[in-house]
Amino acid sequence: MRSVKGTALVIASMVALAACGSSGGDGEKSGAQSSGKPRIKLVINGGLGDKSFFDSAYAGLKKAQKDLGYELKVVELGSDRTKWEPGFEDAAAADDYDILAAGTFDVTDYIGKLAPEYPDKKFWVFDAPVDYTGKNGTCSNKCENVYSVTFKQNEAGYLAGFLAEELVAAKSLKGTENLSKVGVIGGVKIPVIDDFIVGFKAGFKDAGGKKSDVLVQYVGGDKPFGDPAKGKEISTAMYGQGAALVWPVAGLSGLGTFESAVAEKRYTFGVDSDQYQTLADDAQKNTVVTSILKNVGNALYKAAQEDQSDALKYGAVDSVGLKDDAVGYVADDHFEELVPEKIRTALEKAADEVKSGSVTVPSAF
Amino acid sequence: MSAVLDVVLSSAFLAAVLRVSTPYLLAAFGGLVAERAGVSNIALEGQMLSAACTGALVAGYSGSVALGALCGVGVATLLGLLLAALRLELGADVIIAGIGLNLLASGGTAYAVFTLLDDKGGTSGLKSGSLPAVPLPGIDSIPLLGDVISGQNMVTWLAFLTAPVIAWLFYRARFGFHLRAVGEMPDAAASVGIPVRRVQYTGLALSGALAGLAGVFLSMGYVSFFVRDMTAGRGFIALAAVFLGGLRPWGVFLAALGFGAAEALAVQLGTLDVPPQLVSTIPYAMTLVALAVYAWRRRRQAGVEVAASV
Repeated sequence: MRSVKGTALVIASMVALAACGSSGGDGEKSGAQSSGKPRIKLVINGGLGDKSFFDSAYAGLKKAQKDLGYELKVVELGSDRTKWEPGFEDAAAADDYDILAAGTFDVTDYIGKLAPEYPDKKFWVFDAPVDYTGKNGTCSNKCENVYSVTFKQNEAGYLAGFLAEELVAAKSLKGTENLSKVGVIGGVKIPVIDDFIVGFKAGFKDAGGKKSDVLVQYVGGDKPFGDPAKGKEISTAMYGQGAALVWPVAGLSGLGTFESAVAEKRYTFGVDSDQYQTLADDAQKNTVVTSILKNVGNALYKAAQEDQSDALKYGAVDSVGLKDDAVGYVADDHFEELVPEKIRTALEKAADEVKSGSVTVPSAF
Repeated sequence: MSAVLDVVLSSAFLAAVLRVSTPYLLAAFGGLVAERAGVSNIALEGQMLSAACTGALVAGYSGSVALGALCGVGVATLLGLLLAALRLELGADVIIAGIGLNLLASGGTAYAVFTLLDDKGGTSGLKSGSLPAVPLPGIDSIPLLGDVISGQNMVTWLAFLTAPVIAWLFYRARFGFHLRAVGEMPDAAASVGIPVRRVQYTGLALSGALAGLAGVFLSMGYVSFFVRDMTAGRGFIALAAVFLGGLRPWGVFLAALGFGAAEALAVQLGTLDVPPQLVSTIPYAMTLVALAVYAWRRRRQAGVEVAASV
């Protein structure tokens, strides 16, 4: 009896405490409900603080809240997958929103099921499309109240690869003059990540590099996007094998790459958000040649703008890329300092070719 | 194939093995001490995580790396004592209490970091520094050996020194005899006057401290910041090493080193033209093989004993 009681006590208190930590922060000022402002609810299958994907989405919607007069509420479901489906059901059932926004491929089935149940509500899905055909058990109303936006990260990857080879070929990065290799670290082998990498390889080759000079590795394991120790270990291995620069596409695991680059005196590219800005350490900052942006926030802000003028196309996928400024690279002072003008011009030309469609970048999809 | 051989014989790989093994070794010794004291420490993962978080936070705020490391180990020690108290005073199921502590650590660290830094990802915005590496003047000029062992973090040295210390403790020291007796048969130990509880509390505190050192290494040696759930299952792999090593110090040492080597190998081979899925199975495949060998040896030993007794 004693042991049952003790155990129950332990479980109850632990679970309560754990719940505080993992899914706290529900309220982003839900505010007065009757203000008539359109209410956006961002439901995150994970958590904020990833310094890239979800943080970018949040920043974009926050801007919409400030500039366009939306109300914003954020729900974080945590990294436990079993809580996602009920979490989305609860979020959709509550009548405290007009637009429910969610991202990643993982949520498409949930939204596809929920959208027909709440035909008066609007749904935005970023970074993956719902199944608009309605043939596979979701989207029974052809998801006519769902707007999906996907990103051409392969175009951003193409420019990264192009720039990497140009830099290596011209020996313009100090201390790496006799190295010809570069590395890319993916979080895990999934199409969205491989899309970056396929693009990178294509750009590297188009700039005159050998595909075998691109080292590719995935973090994998238990926390592919949250294991900086392993990210550092992989980066160190890549630098050891002669990589002049390493580009991590692996969320928080990538933070290990910047530390490794400092130790090995080599270079990096950032990803998703401008990591020259987000890194705290000056030595680490200085390894970042540029950041390859996937601007989820901009796309959501644009959606918010268009929705106000009823111009947002529901029931269809919007695929945005370089042309739409949804992906790109950072060209700040630090970039200009490290990259000679000749290469900058060549990179701009490559970007124009992708935009105009005269170069088609292969995709992992 | 020769490319693989080149990798395995390179100093970069051998140095990586020592680095990658460090948290496994420390946490596995922590698990071993608890197991031999008769209380399974499932909470290794949580203790590592709490120590990693506390270490980075305290070091960041106080500016003292040593204080951070000390506090990190201290918190993990307290969690070890808490686990012991839950088991010994309240009679809680030790597995469930351990799972509870892991949940507490995962949620609690994220909550603490968010409260203090307003960042839900980790402490990368806080400069906390890391424990010093140990350069070995003289040795570092020796080819291969110098590259492998010179410049390793001090915690790596501690991890490898822990093996003989634990072996000595178990088989040469009075406390070790008591610990093993208590773990084997507490009633018998009590009947000859061994203070069972005190020994178990001490064992669990030591277990927590070792796991704490493993955690501190992650956030203050491997990298210099804490990230939510950054232990990424290392505590459970260490637990596997405890059993794979047959609950004996040198066995556990080899098992933990084996896990480290497998992971380091996966990292080094990953950039070669080998399918990534195949590479990432190396540590797990190795575990299965090792378990099979272990079971086979056990069965043969048992067979010998049966034959002898007949």
